[in-house]
Amino acid sequence: MNFKKFQLSYKTQLNLFLLPYLFGIFLLVIIPALLSFGIAFFRYDGLSAPVWVGNLNFILAYNDELFNLSIQNSVALVLLPVPLRVFGAFLMARLLQKNGRFLNAFRAIIFLPSIIPGAAYALAWIWIFNPLSGPLNLLLQSIGLFTPAWLADPLWAKPALALISLWQIGEGFIVSLAALSDMPPSIDEAAQIDGASTWQQFWLIQLPIFAPILLILIFRDIALTLQNSFTTILFTTQGGPYYASYTLPQFIYEQGFDLLFFGSASAALWVLYLITGLIILIVYLLARQWQVGPSEALYVL
Amino acid sequence: MFYSQRHANGRFLLRLLLTAVFLIPIFWMLMASLMAPGVPLPTTFRLIPDPVTLENYGRIWQIVPFGRFLLNSLLVVITAVPITIMTSSWAGFAMSQLPDARQKRLITLSLLILMVPSIALWTTRFMLYRWLGILDTRLALILPAFMGSSPFFVLMYYRAFRRISKPIFEASRLEGATVFESWRYIGMPQIYSTTLGVGILSFILYWGDFNSPLLYLSDQSKYTLPLALQLLQQLNRSDWPLLMTGSVLVTAVPLVLFIIILPLFRNINPNVLSGIK
Repeated sequence: MNFKKFQLSYKTQLNLFLLPYLFGIFLLVIIPALLSFGIAFFRYDGLSAPVWVGNLNFILAYNDELFNLSIQNSVALVLLPVPLRVFGAFLMARLLQKNGRFLNAFRAIIFLPSIIPGAAYALAWIWIFNPLSGPLNLLLQSIGLFTPAWLADPLWAKPALALISLWQIGEGFIVSLAALSDMPPSIDEAAQIDGASTWQQFWLIQLPIFAPILLILIFRDIALTLQNSFTTILFTTQGGPYYASYTLPQFIYEQGFDLLFFGSASAALWVLYLITGLIILIVYLLARQWQVGPSEALYVL
Repeated sequence: MFYSQRHANGRFLLRLLLTAVFLIPIFWMLMASLMAPGVPLPTTFRLIPDPVTLENYGRIWQIVPFGRFLLNSLLVVITAVPITIMTSSWAGFAMSQLPDARQKRLITLSLLILMVPSIALWTTRFMLYRWLGILDTRLALILPAFMGSSPFFVLMYYRAFRRISKPIFEASRLEGATVFESWRYIGMPQIYSTTLGVGILSFILYWGDFNSPLLYLSDQSKYTLPLALQLLQQLNRSDWPLLMTGSVLVTAVPLVLFIIILPLFRNINPNVLSGIK
């Protein structure tokens, strides 16, 4: 057999193995994203032929008070929980990094809340947050603390929704554990010999080393939180009370799937694409800067 | 020695305490499902409900057709999980064998796709699915499986395959093995903890998927369990024991699977979850 010819076909075979993944990204991510850019200039109800309307959809969406409110709420509901989620996941991974009794069980339990399907998880929290008979307020009452109405109170709805999301940090936890296990133990040992305390080791050595991973986790978590919050909010507050938790996914869902205004839904999506585009650019620069990839040094994932 | 023992005990206590916090949601969900139906809700704090009853687990089947929804959910995961394992491991394997420059580009692409929130694609995927004629079919729920479901899984496989020393694959290639053979007989058998990890994670993803059936299904006979919970909530908004029973049942399947799979990780790698790397 001709060796060179064989080598070429091996490469083709590898490309064939990659094909479903790359074609899927093209069909299910890139095409829908491009389509959505274009649809924003049409009036389209999903049934009849699209009609060109210029920038009317943008005027309609961007002058909609609910749209502006939904952006503000989305930003708040991302800024509130995301840093806590990523930092919490990393801290838990750090705490459960080294060997000890029941280590495996502990790690499994941290992952446990992430197993619960979003719908069941949201229902559980409506019960926990029930102002009168929910276990949380009964507990707070029994120790004489203030009992807010949580999801039913416009002031407390956002903090309550942020609190809900703090338990489902499985993905960040796994990635942090994997990243920590990649760090050569010699770094820790050297710090110990130099007399650094655990806390100093964490702040001065591990955190700077893992800063790029944490940043990428934060950006990933923004996407995760945005999409997961939709299910939670649909079950718990449905955007209320008094639109206190009405977010961009709700707006897009209502415009697109309730009112069949696909055009204005897409116009609203432009904001999301702008934010996502910025995040993607930063991640791309980070990935290049920190040599993400098959280098033998630390790499993400 | 004494100091380090005390140090280890302190760390154990801290671990115990913080881990316990993570059990709170599931614990309160379970306890509420054991409350007696049709009696007034509690007014004082109790860790365990006073009469503990399993009555709700019997009556829920009569209120909504839970059995059919269960079957639908099972159909989805039985198809989506194996397809995900196949396509994501293929992509991860190919990535690990390519020249370094292309590896880097593909990793960056995967990371970038991970940053796209799914809501950005809802409306146009809906149009695309209708154009493909798969709206209101189960295929609309499992289509992402054909691309490995998530770049996250592809990266997990990539990481695992990269840890296998390269000369083995070189040798097999020189012996005339095809890529498929190298993947099937050399790569996959060595990383089955990653396959377990991708398997359970993709199971959780499809089992708990609420948005896809909500957006792409209209025929109730194809609804999956998360939509059954929505139905249950609409029908019995204040029947908490019943709602929590539904939630426990929907959670139970992936939970039991997770518990069964855990010891398998230990056989390969002392680290349970970081075995997925």
